[in-house]
Amino acid sequence: MAYSNKVIDHYENPRNVGSLPKDNPNVGTGLVGAPECGDVMKLQVQVNPETGVIDDAKFKTFGCGSAIASSSLATEWLKGKTVDQALAIKNTDIVTELSLPPVKIHCSVLAEDAIKAAINDYKKKQSVTAKTVAAQEKAQPTV
Amino acid sequence: MISETTAPTIQECRWCGAGAPADASFCPQCTKILPLPRRRDYFTFLGVPRRLNIDPADLEQRFRDRSRQFHPDYFYNAPLAERRASLERSSYLNDAYRTLKQPIARIAYLLELEGALTPADKAAGAGATKVVPPGLLEEVFALNEELDEVRDLRSGGASKDEWTARLQRARQPIEDKRAEHERRIAEVSRQWDALLGRPAGDAERAGVLQALGELMLERNYITNLLAGIERELSQ
Repeated sequence: MAYSNKVIDHYENPRNVGSLPKDNPNVGTGLVGAPECGDVMKLQVQVNPETGVIDDAKFKTFGCGSAIASSSLATEWLKGKTVDQALAIKNTDIVTELSLPPVKIHCSVLAEDAIKAAINDYKKKQSVTAKTVAAQEKAQPTV
Repeated sequence: MISETTAPTIQECRWCGAGAPADASFCPQCTKILPLPRRRDYFTFLGVPRRLNIDPADLEQRFRDRSRQFHPDYFYNAPLAERRASLERSSYLNDAYRTLKQPIARIAYLLELEGALTPADKAAGAGATKVVPPGLLEEVFALNEELDEVRDLRSGGASKDEWTARLQRARQPIEDKRAEHERRIAEVSRQWDALLGRPAGDAERAGVLQALGELMLERNYITNLLAGIERELSQ
């Protein structure tokens, strides 16, 4: 199967490979997998708590070229977006940008799932942090 | 849906017009070989219930008996339509036996037959939305990272003993997982067979089929991981 030039570019020069500190409350981690081919994709976002804008994104994907390219592209797109804008990214946008053939569409679905999982993880952490802070404030009333 | 309740119970012999039971291979009236029925499945064809625990000796015996009955050698003098029926039955029989004799292929076939895992499902890439246990994904990810490091070690000139030892260490938990997985597959397979023995609701059947489907997905990962380790070890 012939990969498009954009897929090959992302595959050979993947952007933003790596990881962010998982325990940082401003970092959201999404880990998803495609059972049928055994691909696994980790995507992380770091959100600026003041502005709600994603200031860094990293990924690491074990899988085929299209899966790597989809997640690499996703991290490029995520940077500078707000959390809500990030959630609006659709797998079809990735398909179009990378000219993925029908058999590789599931790779783009995986990337979209990874974005959603990462953002959800971030939101969950934020609400837990907010609750903890509230609980602490409640437990130790300021005198 | 169980085939027994939905499949027609009777077929018409195309040679003599007599009625024959749907699962008959030869017309009881004129004894000629009947064409492969349109509605068919491997279990019915081999005359076994849709169970997951099948006695391999019994299955092989059934295969051999039918194989002898349908063999094209016995029909080389027969009219074309009968030769074709013999050929179709023989070839379907081979597929049926090859599939049902392997426990895992048998499960995959059952899921497909019951509409729980269709080839279209797989093609549509619905896999990404299927639930994979998060713990499993983390293990898969960690092992893949470990394999990456082993490759780095090797290219950095580390001794074979050093990286082989690491791979063996990494393999142990996966082997344990595999053993647990096999145990689960056997357990859920027994559950399925038990359902067939008594009147069971659709929801109950769907639940067991879903559990089987998830186990089959998990199996892909485990198989890939072990294959990945083997590949590195053989370097």
